[in-house]
Amino acid sequence: MSETAVVHEPGKARETFRAITRDVSWVAEAPKPHKLWLLALAVSTGMFGIGLYSIYVLVTTGIGVWGNSNNVAWAWDITNFVWWIGIGHAGTLISAVLYLTRQQWRVSINRAAEAMTIFAVMCAGLFPLLHTGRPWFAWWMLPLPNDMGSMWPQFRSPLMWDVFAVSTYLTVSLLFWFMGMVPDLATFRDRCALQGKKVRSAIYGVLSLGWRGSAKHWHRYERAYLILAGLSTPLVFSVHSVVSFDFATSQLPGWHTTIFPPYFVAGAIFSGFAMVLTLLLPLRFLFNLQHIIKQEHIHAMCKIMLATGMMVGLAYGTEFFIAWYSGNPFEMFAFRSRAFGPFWWAYFAMVSCNVLAPQFFWSKWVRNNNVMIWILCIFINVGMWFERFVIIATSLARSFLPSAWSYYTPTRYDVGLFVGTIGMFIMFFLLFFRFLPVAAMSEIKGASPEAHAGGPSKGGHH
Amino acid sequence: MATKDHDAAPVTPEPVNGEGELYGVLAEYDTPGELVEASRRVRDAGYTEFDCYSPFPVHGIDSAMGIKRTILPLVIFGGGFAGALGGLALQWYCNAHAWTWNISGKPTWSIPANIPVAYECAILLAALTAFFGMWAFNKLPQVWHPLFRKDRFARVTDDGFFIGIEARDRHFDLDKTQKLLQDAGAIAIEPAYYDPDPAKKVMPRWITAFIVASTAFALIPFAIAAKARNSHSPDPHIHIFADMDYQPKFRSDQKLDIFKDGRANLGEQPGTVARGHLPEDDLFFRGLDGEAGAQKWTTGFPKLYPDGRPFAVDGALLERGRGRYEIYCTPCHGYDGRGNGMVPERVKLGGGLWQARNLVEAPDAKGAGGVAVQMPNGQLFNTISNGYNTMMGYAAQIPHADRWAIVAYVRALQRAQNASQADVPPDLQGSIR
Amino acid sequence: MSALTKSLHPDEKYKAGKLGSNMVKAGLGIAVVFGIVSVVLGALQGDHWKRFMYAYVIGWSFIVSIAIGMLWIILLHHLCRGRWLTVVRRVAEAMTQAFPLIFIAGLGFVIPIVAGYSDLYYWAHPDAKNAALNPHLQHKLGWLSPAAFALRYVLYGVIFTGMAAYFAKKSRQQDETGDPKISDRLRVVSGPAMIVFSFTTCALAFDVLMSLAPKWYSTIYGVSFWASGNIAAFAILALIVMWLRRNGRLVHSVNEEHFHDIGKWMFSFTFFWAYTAFSQFMLQWYGNMPEETVWYKYRMFGEWQWVSIAILVGYWAFPFVFLMSRWTKRIEPSLVFFAVWQIGFTWLNLYWNVMPQYDWEVTYAGTQKLVQGPLMGSLAHHHVGLSAVDLTVWIALLGILLVGIGRNLTGNLIPIKDPTLGMSLAHEQL
Repeated sequence: MSETAVVHEPGKARETFRAITRDVSWVAEAPKPHKLWLLALAVSTGMFGIGLYSIYVLVTTGIGVWGNSNNVAWAWDITNFVWWIGIGHAGTLISAVLYLTRQQWRVSINRAAEAMTIFAVMCAGLFPLLHTGRPWFAWWMLPLPNDMGSMWPQFRSPLMWDVFAVSTYLTVSLLFWFMGMVPDLATFRDRCALQGKKVRSAIYGVLSLGWRGSAKHWHRYERAYLILAGLSTPLVFSVHSVVSFDFATSQLPGWHTTIFPPYFVAGAIFSGFAMVLTLLLPLRFLFNLQHIIKQEHIHAMCKIMLATGMMVGLAYGTEFFIAWYSGNPFEMFAFRSRAFGPFWWAYFAMVSCNVLAPQFFWSKWVRNNNVMIWILCIFINVGMWFERFVIIATSLARSFLPSAWSYYTPTRYDVGLFVGTIGMFIMFFLLFFRFLPVAAMSEIKGASPEAHAGGPSKGGHH
Repeated sequence: MATKDHDAAPVTPEPVNGEGELYGVLAEYDTPGELVEASRRVRDAGYTEFDCYSPFPVHGIDSAMGIKRTILPLVIFGGGFAGALGGLALQWYCNAHAWTWNISGKPTWSIPANIPVAYECAILLAALTAFFGMWAFNKLPQVWHPLFRKDRFARVTDDGFFIGIEARDRHFDLDKTQKLLQDAGAIAIEPAYYDPDPAKKVMPRWITAFIVASTAFALIPFAIAAKARNSHSPDPHIHIFADMDYQPKFRSDQKLDIFKDGRANLGEQPGTVARGHLPEDDLFFRGLDGEAGAQKWTTGFPKLYPDGRPFAVDGALLERGRGRYEIYCTPCHGYDGRGNGMVPERVKLGGGLWQARNLVEAPDAKGAGGVAVQMPNGQLFNTISNGYNTMMGYAAQIPHADRWAIVAYVRALQRAQNASQADVPPDLQGSIR
Repeated sequence: MSALTKSLHPDEKYKAGKLGSNMVKAGLGIAVVFGIVSVVLGALQGDHWKRFMYAYVIGWSFIVSIAIGMLWIILLHHLCRGRWLTVVRRVAEAMTQAFPLIFIAGLGFVIPIVAGYSDLYYWAHPDAKNAALNPHLQHKLGWLSPAAFALRYVLYGVIFTGMAAYFAKKSRQQDETGDPKISDRLRVVSGPAMIVFSFTTCALAFDVLMSLAPKWYSTIYGVSFWASGNIAAFAILALIVMWLRRNGRLVHSVNEEHFHDIGKWMFSFTFFWAYTAFSQFMLQWYGNMPEETVWYKYRMFGEWQWVSIAILVGYWAFPFVFLMSRWTKRIEPSLVFFAVWQIGFTWLNLYWNVMPQYDWEVTYAGTQKLVQGPLMGSLAHHHVGLSAVDLTVWIALLGILLVGIGRNLTGNLIPIKDPTLGMSLAHEQL
């Protein structure tokens, strides 16, 4: 008996697994991309171009082209930095925290959310890098031996912590994303091979590192995945906490408060989930992923947004209460001017978008209406942007000395760069959707009821 | 590889001739549950060199196959611990050892401020250990595994569940092993062979070549850095972004071919004076008045500045004088000029005795005392320039014009400190009590 | 990650029987004996009951934080359709139903304050009203007045008791009717309940603990209090469940998989507490503003620094490293060790939060005595000064907690008709 002996054909049970493979692979295998996808790619690439031009003007001229001034030294740039980093956090939360807490609904969206994390962190990193004024000296922030005498980075500065936190975050997110993708890339490899696409198969083959689904490999893979999830969870907390330290370690009223670390983390998750839905709702429609990303998953995300929105609201309230409770006149003034000062419109935009908008999610009708959800998500994205703007710009515009009071207005290059990062983000995300496995096929299969089928220990069921 | 839709089985068997040596037997099972059961039977039959293959981690297969818990977590913990210690050591080295710098009065070795970075380092190293450790323990990447030669095996990443028993297992016997797998419920069984080309049994040569080439390429920057550290060159560094490193000017140590000695700096030339540096006005520069040969200390002030502007004793001058006086003179002479500045006060605290001149003391009726009040302006100017008794000269610190401003201010101070009621303007007389 | 379910083992004993009343008796005994000892020791201090009252606030904060922690996990369980907790949720519910008794016990320090006792909270002291002495305290003396304090205390009591009673009652109702809609109902209610819970917990921490140093403030204080309480709450849950198993209950239902999860929560909150504590410390240390750092001045230097180090090592580093491993959470003696250890350190953490405020600075303007309040004066006058009454009061209050829990350990110890019970029974770690 030395040739293949086929005893009988596979049974029906495997149809589920094949369907999952087909539904997910289809997105990348469709011979021609959807017209709307092409249109979106063109628009986002154009926006990215605007960003590149803004960077060109900035680098060749200096950061004077921004609206920042001596008093409001941090403005749109740092607002955007914090906003983008926050958006990234939902990806890690979905892939890591929900994994640890065994929320099975995560499997349909974790891959896309992780991709979003990486692109968002890339956008975020641009801003402080450009704000240094001379980004080509960015390596000064790394502890490298140099020819400037024994000059080293200043580790007591929160800005240095940022460098380490954000770069660690990007690295770990990439590793986590890539590692989760390897089995699915192997699926692509094998499918391309079977379809005779040799070049694609070779590329996916290199990327999948020769993955062959061995049980011994899966064993270590799962341990490593669990540990990476366990590492990402404290990491995601630490990254936005470190970002909040940039503000909270100062003595500026409105910045210096101890609730900042968890408050920033909650806000980050809040805005990140909004962004996940902003992206996935249209793409789900475009690529027929309704079987993969189910309505109940969207429900769960709506509820998380509602919860984190309330946490953010709790923090707003606590801040105001303690500002009064402290008896510190500067603290009191800072909060009064935040709500009723020259930036009152930003404050009320923030409260209405972040605290009032998510209240709609109490209604089941809203949670079933994807257009409504999408609009509310846009509101939350805007609101969270305003939250960062309110914290950063209004506190600086009304600091201790009345002589240092000022107002901030962005220039076209501020706007251009922000638009550019949005374009870059969407562009990368669209490319990811077209060329990489958009959902974790192996995890979806593992979470399906058929994954436990056919065992002899049927007595365990009831 | 076949081009037809993989959903359609079966696959044509491969001929044994033209194959390499036997790798083992591959059997396919229909469901995850059957795979678990079959793997348990293979293990119970005493096989050790076998493995299961599935599109997702199958529940319960670890215990069925008898896979030992990996030590990977322990290694990762080690990585994280090393990261934390390394992060702390890095910060100690940078800020408490190699480059100590006072930052808002915080200690150079500030543990609370060093926690975030140490924490990030711990996570980074643990994550890197987890990622690379996992691949290393799994002996991946390995794109040349013999099972990849089986078309049927392509399903392992889609919906196929396989057991592969290797020929090197001591219980292996082609027929018996296939029988065992078939009895365990396999839906398809086939032997697997290595590639007849022995070079394809191991890492393909192009991968080796790629690794060697990219490693060599990665070393180039280090080689350049090493060379730069061990060589000397008169050429400036390569600056991709010039910033303000190069400006259109010459510094004294630079080369310039215009001059004979080839230096940009001509140096002092005999018989020349730099612009504005000719101190020919005795009145302004030395405080001397009168005909040549019979000069005396002036009692007035200069008429002109060296650049030709008229010299005026006005509010602006007094204001300037007050500023200079408070910077340079108050440490000894005090704000009111009575010689009770901080320096004499401190000496007194230490039990010593050291007197600064009382600048505003008026002479008594016999004209004794009040030295500073009686000095002509020129002599006051000279005192500031060249010193007096234990007082050193301030010529190096205070420019000439400022010395004159101080003289004017000292005069004002003397007047103020010895004022009588009559000096108060008549309309304000009433407000004095 | 499996959706497997199991049915309740036919031989499982899930009726509480006399266990609850045994616990009540034991708790009552402890409370009475240690209560009397504490009163005697407190009187012997001869400090107008000051030490006793401080110890009382520590002990009371401890037992209230246990019930708060359990209420939180119950709310979260319903909110997220959790599964693993179901099998031990009845025990958790019993723990939250101790709220009424806890809030009655708390009257032990609230009534004296209303009656004019002024040695516990400085804001209740007549000299706090001295505007020259305390200019930044005056505007909030309305908020921090005995009457307002007592009013809020009653409000907290009503809110917590009401929420705990509602969730426990509905759960018991399901035992009778088996109506799955009750689970849906609880899930809907748990959302708003969580919000009310958050506000109430933060406010309680601000009032009872933070106002001991009335001029100091920290926005994260409530979160930190809640986090540290949760560590001990899960520890006590583990111990009670083990005790029930010793007595033949839940033997087939609860296994090391569930203890593993309890251990994980202990670990998570050990970490999360450290995160909040570090955030508070680092930001105030870094900002170095006198009105804030004074709180840490008396804890970083002098005798208290040793307690601070003990908490850093004992409450965080040691359990953090060991609870990270799998076996420490799955082997019973090891989990017992860490549970007891963390209960002790949770108390020490509260002690460290409260006791540095014990020594009040007193000055004399002529012959008139002026009390300036806590966190002032020389470091050398601030002693750790652990005394027996600190511990006996705590143990007496733990007795009261046991009475509160035992009273509600009746009937079914497992929500037998909860739709998620099957999955909870079949629960396995990843």
